[in-house]
Amino acid sequence: MLEFYEPQADYGTPKSTSTTMVTLSIDGVSVTVPEGTSVMRAAAESGVKIPRLCATDQLKSFGSCRVCLVEIEGRRGFPASCTTNVEAGMEVKTQSDQIGKLRRNVMELYISDHPLDCLTCPTNGDCELQDTAGELGLRSVRYGFEGDNHLIAEKDESNPYFTFDPSKCIVCSRCVRACEEVQGTFALTIDGRGFDSKVSVSQDEDFMGSECVSCGACVAACPTATLTEKSIIEAGKPEHSVITTCAYCGVGCSFKAEMKGNQVVRMTPYKDGKANEGHACVKGRFAFGYATHKDRITVPMIRDSIDDPWKEVSWDEAVTYTAQRFKDIQAQYGRTSIGAISSSRCTNEEVYLVQKMVRAGFGNNNIDTCARVCHSPTGFGLKTTLGESAGTQTFASVADADVVIVMGANPTEAHPVFGSRLKRRLREGAKLIVIDPRKIELVSSPHITADYHLPVRPGTNVTLLNALAHVVVNEGLQARDYIAERCDVAEFEKWLTFIGDDRHSPENTASITGVDAADLRAAARLYASGGNGAIFYGLGVTEHSQGSTAVMAIANLAMLTGNIGHEGVGVNPLRGQNNVQGSCDMGSFPHELPGYRHISDKATRDLFEGEWGVTLDSEPGLRIPNMFDAALDGDFKGLYCQGEDIAQSDPNTQHVEAALRSIECLVVQDIFLNETAKFAHVFLPGASFLEKDGTFTNAERRISRVRKVMPPLSGKADWQGTMALANALGCKMEYNHPSEIMDEIARLTPTFNGVSYDRIEQLGSIQWPCNDDSPEGTPIMHVDQFVRGKGFFAMTEYVATTERANRKFPLLLTTGRILSQYNVGAQTRRTENSEWHGEDVLEIHPHDAEERGINHGDWVGINSRVGDTVLRADVTDKVKPGVVYTTFHHPVSGANVITTDNSDWATNCPEYKVTAVQISKVSQPSNWQARQKSFDKQQQGLLKDARH
Amino acid sequence: MPDSKRQRLVSQVNQIALNMSANGSEEMVADQVAQHLDKFWAPPMKDLITEQPGNEDIGLTSIGQMAVGNLLKILEKKQT
Repeated sequence: MLEFYEPQADYGTPKSTSTTMVTLSIDGVSVTVPEGTSVMRAAAESGVKIPRLCATDQLKSFGSCRVCLVEIEGRRGFPASCTTNVEAGMEVKTQSDQIGKLRRNVMELYISDHPLDCLTCPTNGDCELQDTAGELGLRSVRYGFEGDNHLIAEKDESNPYFTFDPSKCIVCSRCVRACEEVQGTFALTIDGRGFDSKVSVSQDEDFMGSECVSCGACVAACPTATLTEKSIIEAGKPEHSVITTCAYCGVGCSFKAEMKGNQVVRMTPYKDGKANEGHACVKGRFAFGYATHKDRITVPMIRDSIDDPWKEVSWDEAVTYTAQRFKDIQAQYGRTSIGAISSSRCTNEEVYLVQKMVRAGFGNNNIDTCARVCHSPTGFGLKTTLGESAGTQTFASVADADVVIVMGANPTEAHPVFGSRLKRRLREGAKLIVIDPRKIELVSSPHITADYHLPVRPGTNVTLLNALAHVVVNEGLQARDYIAERCDVAEFEKWLTFIGDDRHSPENTASITGVDAADLRAAARLYASGGNGAIFYGLGVTEHSQGSTAVMAIANLAMLTGNIGHEGVGVNPLRGQNNVQGSCDMGSFPHELPGYRHISDKATRDLFEGEWGVTLDSEPGLRIPNMFDAALDGDFKGLYCQGEDIAQSDPNTQHVEAALRSIECLVVQDIFLNETAKFAHVFLPGASFLEKDGTFTNAERRISRVRKVMPPLSGKADWQGTMALANALGCKMEYNHPSEIMDEIARLTPTFNGVSYDRIEQLGSIQWPCNDDSPEGTPIMHVDQFVRGKGFFAMTEYVATTERANRKFPLLLTTGRILSQYNVGAQTRRTENSEWHGEDVLEIHPHDAEERGINHGDWVGINSRVGDTVLRADVTDKVKPGVVYTTFHHPVSGANVITTDNSDWATNCPEYKVTAVQISKVSQPSNWQARQKSFDKQQQGLLKDARH
Repeated sequence: MPDSKRQRLVSQVNQIALNMSANGSEEMVADQVAQHLDKFWAPPMKDLITEQPGNEDIGLTSIGQMAVGNLLKILEKKQT
């Protein structure tokens, strides 16, 4: 897939989705295209390029530049080919002397007000204006360059990733339209008229001071050097490119990594990527610099104690040392005294190998993955009700939604490319219900207003979901035929009695949820009767003591209204990290093998035992919190942790730290010395997504290729490191390429039987299940029937969390993410993204702040039942009174020092979203923060010693 | 140490039972809780919760107590 650099093909206007075909003639050649296609696109598809400046196929046609003029037989004048749609029998002429003259006239006017610095311009050789001038044969400008012009317009270099040079602007509006149509932020506009027309950012501010979210859509759309990536200005035009998949959130955007040698100079969203269709966010497009950051550790290191300096060693020595320590521990403490944690940031092939090494090499099932602390309730809840642990739709399906519920998710911050897609549909008229304690952007933003915002009190999601279902049932809005045909009717009847009880009514639950009963009733009616209803949810649903119950309640609601099994509907978990879906699919939970098959199932075990040549333990292993508890109890002594920073991301940090300190051999494989690695005895250098081959599976179940664009800095990709360790332990693994690992996965997993690298190459990406029944994958699940057969209405009794506010801890803390940072921040903190979010802050409602004498920007101490930390106050009405909110992107913030061990009843997913706290104005860091600073200093010193 | 370990497990059993309480009769719920524990808990956890001495009250709810009894039967059946 490596290819010489070429800009992606641009057909000028968007593709028509019509199935009616139209035949016309272009320059004497017969062309057949879908109805609704522009003449410009029809020409491009038949290999005829019509010059253009204001048109691009990512945006609706606009017709302003007048360069794309054509002649059409029987029509007066010279219509713009971008705004003229094809008609049957139309005869189009794209070239003539008169057309050429008109186009050149237009170009002369543009060039008369444009700097003639092509040779030193950063986009020299990659500029549509330059190319078009060349195509039109422009040789001189009759108007001269002495008149009024914009050549001294001031350059805006405030954004860390791109510059805005208005002297090069031709006011084609592509940037403005990209911001509106593609991103949906409306940060740009054309200010003034005629000669005074100019692109203006917000209220004539600079980019950094505006509401611009730095998605880069404007930069990609710009046909000149007006908006240019700083990386291109510094490095010049790329020479080759490789298509790969983003390693940030669960949207799974496809990118062309544009390279000079082994250096990435630009990440360009790939138009044929089905998850993103050419769009990107500030992280995926720009925040790739961490991959070559000076903090990268590229040499294996070992030490006997965490108070010892690190010693740099060869891969062989590190692997041999680790294997011996693990063997010794098992000999002394038993077979189950060691385990592993895999990561949703790693590829499918890597997480598959880690669980294989644990089951076949360690001889136990002590394998868990970071999905434990995010979407494990999704797996449990959807498997129970629908029969498969996955979302039901494609992202594109939202284009057919009429009513959208967004619950406990913040797509414009955490899944921004999907957020833009959703906003587009909302601007087209779809209705929106937001269920969230916070006033997230979707509640009210330019051209988007939620029809209903139900500001649920943290910890009461299940009550609210039950109340919605209660209204649907009591008002007779359920999809009776659908239920009768597709669901377990006996179970449904039982559930009907349960949900119909008056205690679930909006009026009787309002005091629990804090949500206005009339709003809730109206929202329920809208979802049940407003056409296609789609539910998108996130960690605000799962990270609760009743996370699994809430997921089942969502599935109940969707089945109740017939909203599963076709386009525009569904139950859609928005996965936090890039490969949460994949890591779960690959058997990373301690109770199940790849494909969600329980370890106790003999037939499944036989299959794996046959392939792996070992006998497998038939009992489940330890979950992550069980591992911590067992470590503190002295029963768990060895841990291999790949690509996951449990010391920062898991709840009750002090408990986690104590557990890590009690482990005799902690092995961390990562690209940086993360918080967990500071407690490690072995450090195996990891590879970033740019350094390895493999696949990621996004929230749509879409398997996409990750392709190596540069060699691993440590000499090994992560799968190679795991393979070396497995072999040293006597667990034989021989793979020459990750494609061979995928072949093994496909052999052993029915839902992956049809997946191979060749097949992905042919199709671009594949949504599982992909097998003989669905050779091209499965975009929409549960189409004719549910995977489990009949849909199951689960009982969803509300059980209040034990983490309750009281006089001592009167506020409820909930946590989340921000657009510019990602998860524990290990990657994004090492990029310019920190210019937007250099520290985590605590959002407090003005009423709560005033009661405590807290002003915006003050340091505030936050105390919970398990710990305390200090953050700066952000006084805002984004949160409701009684609720405070923070992010967890910076280690020193200690957000998880406060969160507790409470967890989901079914899966032990931590209850991050509900922690009772008190806050007060303080003047110094917490004791934990002081200790963290000191420990960090010590560990950085020990690392520095090793590097000398 | 085993007591605090056991207390963690007792709390979890009670939490699971409470969350399944609407599923049916006490007997049915106890049976479902036992199956849940067998399906998701590692053997040392199952052993510890089922090794409760005699009739001592360790804090299990009545359904939790029944569930643990059912789990013991499941484990015994596996051994035979």
